[in-house]
Amino acid sequence: MHTCKRTVTMVGLLGLVALVGAGCSKSIQADAGSKSFEPAPSQSKSGSGAGQDAPVSQFGSLPGDSNGKPSGKGSGEERVSEGIAVAKAAPSGSSMQREMQQESAATAAAGLNDVFFAYDSWKLSEGGKQALSKDAEWLKTNGSQKLAVEGHCDERGTQAYNLVLGQKRAKAVRNYLVELGVAGNRITVVSYGKDRPFCRESNESCYQQNRRGHLVVSDK
Amino acid sequence: MRYLLVTMLLLGAGFGAILESGAADVFLEATRPDFQKISIAVLGFRDGQLPDNPGSRLTQVLKDDLRRSLIFLVTDQAKLGLTLDGAYGAKNVLFKQAVDSGIAVLVWGQVAARQPDLVLDGLIYDGVKQESIASKRYVGAPPVLRQMAHRLADELVYRYTGEPGIAKTKIAFVSEQGGSRELYVMDYDGYGPRQVTADGFLSLMPRWSPDRRHLVFTTYRSRTKQDIDAIELATGKRATLVSMPGLNITPAFSPDGTDLVFASSNEGNAEIYKLSLRTKTLTRLTVNNGGDLSPAWAPSGRELAFVSDRGGSPQIYLMSADGSDVRRLTFEGDHNAAPAWSPRGNWIAYVCRGQDRQYKLCLISPDGQKRIQITSGQGVDDSPSWSPDGRHLVFSSTAEGKSHIYMINSDGTDLERLTSGGVHHSAPVWSPA
Repeated sequence: MHTCKRTVTMVGLLGLVALVGAGCSKSIQADAGSKSFEPAPSQSKSGSGAGQDAPVSQFGSLPGDSNGKPSGKGSGEERVSEGIAVAKAAPSGSSMQREMQQESAATAAAGLNDVFFAYDSWKLSEGGKQALSKDAEWLKTNGSQKLAVEGHCDERGTQAYNLVLGQKRAKAVRNYLVELGVAGNRITVVSYGKDRPFCRESNESCYQQNRRGHLVVSDK
Repeated sequence: MRYLLVTMLLLGAGFGAILESGAADVFLEATRPDFQKISIAVLGFRDGQLPDNPGSRLTQVLKDDLRRSLIFLVTDQAKLGLTLDGAYGAKNVLFKQAVDSGIAVLVWGQVAARQPDLVLDGLIYDGVKQESIASKRYVGAPPVLRQMAHRLADELVYRYTGEPGIAKTKIAFVSEQGGSRELYVMDYDGYGPRQVTADGFLSLMPRWSPDRRHLVFTTYRSRTKQDIDAIELATGKRATLVSMPGLNITPAFSPDGTDLVFASSNEGNAEIYKLSLRTKTLTRLTVNNGGDLSPAWAPSGRELAFVSDRGGSPQIYLMSADGSDVRRLTFEGDHNAAPAWSPRGNWIAYVCRGQDRQYKLCLISPDGQKRIQITSGQGVDDSPSWSPDGRHLVFSSTAEGKSHIYMINSDGTDLERLTSGGVHHSAPVWSPA
């Protein structure tokens, strides 16, 4: 099922820039003198006012515009700000986590089998095909349920290429389920590459766990 | 304010491995061996009335910045007996002593409170001209004290090279917090990490806009929906730039900021597209049965390096910015990916898999004639990104177990870990200067 629908939503960046109001609030989420990731954003300090009207603020300057240019012997003082101001991260308020927990519960109840792949490969093994045959039976019995197939990879290789590899794995799973008679429009594929690992050890048994087509009963 | 020493990992022995015999004519910009560094002494910063004595910290920040500039040779002035005495400023006898010891530049200053701000005065004495050449005063809120030292370092780099320094640059990256992976921005030396997104799921592979105002990145809108978003750092305002079925990954702004290139699988396998941010026109640049991804702009904006597995394994290819004139660049090894074009255009950094099957960093010239591997050892190195001065790379590595962010000189020397603590840090990308 290849959809050709193409929805490119574009909000012009120029438009975005125009949204920058004067006097926007800034906050620093970690102590600027700290390297540690342990202090949580709750330690945030308001940096409002610091560098608001900074004459030498980098923020907003054009590339090459006054960066690091000497201001001459005995010149006046320079106001220093964070440089690139970062607004406090705002939770998006999405209900995604809850939905995913519900999906995980539904998946566990269905008893669907995941499939596993060889290193750098998206070819289904005989064991994988047998597992998918059982999954296909469940899908035929539960004809209204939709399925998401997640492609996952081990930690080796680059993040970006593993997203492509994970997509190939997820598609291989969907294609085989379609071969077994499951309607393609019931199955969505997605790749997580190596960014949602099932385990984190750097050894072959963990790698094997992460090279996976993960089947999830989907709400959508 | 806590202060943690910069973790320095000088693994010189294992790094800089040169793979090919053509190494003799490989020189890496200002890191070339014959570059004569300028000897500099940082005498210190008086901090008289201030609590917790920030002077010594400022001295260390400035010394580290100057060392990383690769322009200056920071001398141990204490060994030469050069220290600031009681009076403000340094004495002429001190200058003479320093110049006689071969020191070309002396820097010192003081930091004082001027409520609610701090004021940093920096003085620069040129030993060749035998005169004080600059007096800089930086004013800011206490949390930006390190930034003031960074400014002084960049001022020195500018005065002696005519180029903007990198001490005030930032690095965007992805860090795991409570099971989700979010965007962060930190100082170039790893200090002051600030969280940019808090979506609670997965955001990946940020890239800076040329004006440093925005990051563009892949984000998962739901379990099965992947979009490309831009976020304005100062406000947190979000905009969805690409929302198509399938993979939507590896976005990158053109050097002039008018186009966005990215990879999408909305028509089947991953292909590279160009989206005009002015006209909103979408152009498909690659057409073949392999996966195409990770487009990286040449600084001229006329060419793109990218990854394709059209030949069976992932390799680096080049093409014109309109998709024409495609040619393969890498031929060694069966896994080459994640290209990043250097700011001066003369190198492409990428992840290479060698005969030991490890994923390491390599550099190749755009004509394919010169190639060197700059990291070695265990672990997966990924996502190389150049400093704006072209003398450093930032990348992620699992060399120490967990994935951390590291900085390295472009010749493979001076490996330095930038992140500490945390669970998983990845996908670093250096801001423009």
